[in-house]
Amino acid sequence: MKSFYIMILGVLLIGGGVLYYAMRGGSPTLEPIDLGELDNTQLVELAQPAHVFGDPDAPVTIMEFADYQCGVCKQFAVMVKPEVEAAYINTGRAKLVLHDFPLIDLHRHAFLAARAARCAGDQDRYADYHDALFDTQLDWSEMQSATGHFKDLARRVELDTGTFDECLDSDRHAEVVSANMLYGRAFRVTGTPTLVMHRGGPPIYRLGGNRFLDIQEAMESDGTEN
Amino acid sequence: MEWLEPRGTPGAVSPPHAPPRNRMAVALLSLVGAFVAFYLLAANLGWTPPVPCGTGDCATVQSSKYAKVGPVPVSGIGLAGYVTLLALALAGLQGRLSRSRLIPLLLFGGALFGVLFSGYLTYLEAAVIKAWCRYCVASAIIITVVFAATLPELKRIRAGGGP
Repeated sequence: MKSFYIMILGVLLIGGGVLYYAMRGGSPTLEPIDLGELDNTQLVELAQPAHVFGDPDAPVTIMEFADYQCGVCKQFAVMVKPEVEAAYINTGRAKLVLHDFPLIDLHRHAFLAARAARCAGDQDRYADYHDALFDTQLDWSEMQSATGHFKDLARRVELDTGTFDECLDSDRHAEVVSANMLYGRAFRVTGTPTLVMHRGGPPIYRLGGNRFLDIQEAMESDGTEN
Repeated sequence: MEWLEPRGTPGAVSPPHAPPRNRMAVALLSLVGAFVAFYLLAANLGWTPPVPCGTGDCATVQSSKYAKVGPVPVSGIGLAGYVTLLALALAGLQGRLSRSRLIPLLLFGGALFGVLFSGYLTYLEAAVIKAWCRYCVASAIIITVVFAATLPELKRIRAGGGP
């Protein structure tokens, strides 16, 4: 019996050691962080967009406040964005500037998804990861934890997975995503996707809808409406 | 002197305090299985970085609708099962409890349920989800060996107790 209990102790020690090794990684920041009181200048500086689709010098800026776990955002990305790209972005008339606006009360993985996409952006692969997140949205939305899926996506998109995992398992980009949320609230954003358009300064349009027609109407207006 | 597991004709009686070796094997294997199940559960609940997969597709398996029974992750059921088998096997090694009529029944019944449930999950991985999680496969192998190790309990059930 003595040798049996020694074996039990051995399994406990080895198993505990393996578990400790497996669980030693950092824990990813899943929720916004408190940024304290920010004035407008500080907020604009902190709330850097997640990505700019198109020519950064294009005269018209279409800002999209998006949530990766939002079904309508996926529809926008899959159905409307290609039309906008063909009509305005690829022609250099406008750029689409993506801002994070994770609806954390509704979507438990949205904040992490926004961070994950920015981690991919660190490797200049934001657009590919953006597409992969929306392509697999139904898969990861219902997961208890989406961290594994986001890391798997990094592998599928052929990122440097070590760097990506390290980024995701930290609090990296938590501040800028949190600032993006405050920035969206400054534009009275309450849902996603919300589109805001400007021509380098006021007037700034907050589009009534997110169809291509809404964007087309705003693009073709003379810029005097508000 | 070390007593060996009784062999031979049904009804063979082992020496009074012989610790049944098969229960030792069940205890050791259940402990290993409990670690595997705990790891899967921790990954599923986000307590740990996700399960690394060199082979297979753990994320697909873990995120499938079959990964839970109601609100309970399958890995949680597995953990509970292994811990129960471990407790039963350890109890079955202690003095009077080792001769309990209930322990052989619970050990064999528990392992049988475990191997059937695990077989069903393996079938789902192969035929429905069409993705493999190597830790789930490892657990399936462990519970199968645990079940094999509980077969001597059948003899004790027939004999009306153990060891």
